[in-house]
Amino acid sequence: MNLSLGYNFGILAAVLVGALVGLGIIALLFRLKIMDLTFDERQERARGQAYKYGFWTLMACLLLYGFSDMVLGRWCDVIAGVMLCAGVALVMFASVCIVKDAYLSLKEKPRTIMILLTVVGSLNLAIGIMNWKNGRVVRDGILTFGAANGICGLMVLVILVVYVVNHLLAKREDAE
Amino acid sequence: MKNLRLKSARAALDMSQQQLADAVGVSRQTINAIEKGDYNPTIKLCLAICKALGKTLDELFWEET
Repeated sequence: MNLSLGYNFGILAAVLVGALVGLGIIALLFRLKIMDLTFDERQERARGQAYKYGFWTLMACLLLYGFSDMVLGRWCDVIAGVMLCAGVALVMFASVCIVKDAYLSLKEKPRTIMILLTVVGSLNLAIGIMNWKNGRVVRDGILTFGAANGICGLMVLVILVVYVVNHLLAKREDAE
Repeated sequence: MKNLRLKSARAALDMSQQQLADAVGVSRQTINAIEKGDYNPTIKLCLAICKALGKTLDELFWEET
């Protein structure tokens, strides 16, 4: 599918604006102290290990994606493929952080973060479902950039599930 | 190896893990991990814990062979 240069520039501009809005929201969350990056020494170390797991997961996913493209032929847009790989790596990073009690900083509150994850995950998933219904996710049998929201939503919800399960297990352990 | 001396020193002052964690500026899970022997703290954190509990390094962290 050949798209015009104008269309591609439009997509690029939309992505840039989206990224800027996203950065603005994140900056606001930091300013409101809902998000914070103050970790203690154990958490820093655990997050370092989590980065390592995330990095190698990303490497493995990119290799797998490249290999699948070579063997199966084009099954998804490059950008959708990269989003998938990054999503899996981020889930790995977040899951390791959660299991090692290093996901939340010293100032973040579990309830606030759970609400934030629920809102972000649900919104992205809702947009993803809308895209799916409008036929923007798969075109000519190829997964397109329209899948990005769905991938993000799914990723955030998986992180939320890991977080909630870990939170409940930790509570039960504390009670014992 | 579990650090029972840390746990008993904290209990003697009637401090919860959260209170000790707040006093030394770490998470409650970190204090829990130290007490369970899952994490070896740096000397900086050991000193902060000793100061908060009014103990010496030897009393809390020195392992008798």
